[in-house]
Amino acid sequence: MPDSSPNTDPLPVDAAGRRPAFFAPDGVDQILTMVLELATELWVLRERVFVIEAVAAEHGLPLKSGVESYALTDAQRAELAAMRAEMMNQLFRTLNQDHRPVGG
Amino acid sequence: MPIELSHDLKVKHSRDAQSRQDFISSLRGFILNDMAAGMRARFDDEVEPAFERQHGRAPKTQDEVHAAMRRDPYFKFYSSVRYNAQEMVWRSVIPGVQADLPELSSKVDQLSQTGGGSLTLDSSLAVPENVAGLDVHLMPGGYANVGHPGAGAVYDNGLAVFSAGFMGPDLNDIGLSMSNYVKHRFPDFTPERILDCGCTVGHNAAAWAQTYPDAEVHGVDVSASVLIYAHGRAQSLGLPVHYHQMDATDLTFPDNSFDVVFTSMFLHELSVKDIKRFFAQAHRVLRPGGLLINMELPPNRELKPYDQFYLDWDCYYNKEPYYRAFRDQNPEDLIQAGGFRSEDFIQFTVPQYSFTPVDAFNAAVNAPPSFDGDTGRLSASLSWFGFGGWKAKS
Repeated sequence: MPDSSPNTDPLPVDAAGRRPAFFAPDGVDQILTMVLELATELWVLRERVFVIEAVAAEHGLPLKSGVESYALTDAQRAELAAMRAEMMNQLFRTLNQDHRPVGG
Repeated sequence: MPIELSHDLKVKHSRDAQSRQDFISSLRGFILNDMAAGMRARFDDEVEPAFERQHGRAPKTQDEVHAAMRRDPYFKFYSSVRYNAQEMVWRSVIPGVQADLPELSSKVDQLSQTGGGSLTLDSSLAVPENVAGLDVHLMPGGYANVGHPGAGAVYDNGLAVFSAGFMGPDLNDIGLSMSNYVKHRFPDFTPERILDCGCTVGHNAAAWAQTYPDAEVHGVDVSASVLIYAHGRAQSLGLPVHYHQMDATDLTFPDNSFDVVFTSMFLHELSVKDIKRFFAQAHRVLRPGGLLINMELPPNRELKPYDQFYLDWDCYYNKEPYYRAFRDQNPEDLIQAGGFRSEDFIQFTVPQYSFTPVDAFNAAVNAPPSFDGDTGRLSASLSWFGFGGWKAKS
């Protein structure tokens, strides 16, 4: 192999050395629940975006590029805020069994 | 991926719920294959050598393995993720079942009017505490909570997510594997009446009806909810099965009235006392020359301490309190307590009928049982364990 070929070894993504631990182990179980719920909902969203883009493309709508340049209205921001609140309640369900909705 | 239920009671889940189920099913597959392998390696490379340094010997019992593993971060993550995934299985199907309940009930009513099966409920039956007082498998509300098909639907839809494909395309691989074991191993035995005890939604009773289409198949369970659902499910599949609300430890069928008494994943939800009572009932209702056959987790005595510990996870963390005590028994002793003779005891291991070429299945059926860490363990290379006995002809 000539010396001039670029090095394509994977770049490191973690800093070397031990990571500090800031928290006592208390609460790790709840955090795992949150992580898994979050991962699930992230997947649900990714799948929905995939389907939306596919359906739109089938109807001649170039959504991928349109989304990049889109600006949200105030009403849309409020709608998204309510959706986020509902997601928070789902995410933190183990902390408070009889919780009220965030902001409610 | 969760399997797609093929019968008419299938719930129409929302697009997001389907994505959630896909994710959770994949997560279950990851836990049971990849994380299980990672935890095993952790035991071999770290936990067992540390135990040996401290005690001068390897762990001898599953309790010693469990105690050592409980301190290990890998076990904590495995267990926490698996426990969460179990909760998420049910959470991913309950909203869809809830929304579909009115339509589901009317579909069950319609299906009940058709086909050759039947449903006999007994509202006076006292549902035993191991079912009524416990959310077995962490299934919210348990199996006997309501008088409509909701619990049955939650279980059927949840099992489709939980099993991650391991239980076959119609969730009936256990029933198919066991009935085809009998059919291929004992070709001259042609059962006319077959009884499935603790049948829940009848997914395996239906498999016996498929394997022996000329036989009359009955299923019993203590829960009206799962039976109402099971009846509609079987009618929808065109399989005439007769369902009865009855306690398997106190059957009301006449003596000598069945050729096969079958259970799957049932005994480990019963106390040892109730298992013995059930075996005595099975012996009573079997005709002379009839067969008791139970699909179960393999007995602990056949497994190494780590594999015993691995399988008994459910006893400690999945609301199945009788699981370990059952697995600590010798199956041959158990059937004798019910009146079967030691010389009539059978036990076997078979590959999954749904995924095994028929030649390989036949070869396994005629081979002696072989036990290893994959016996009865949901994984890509699992085999099922079965045991039981013939009722003496005279």
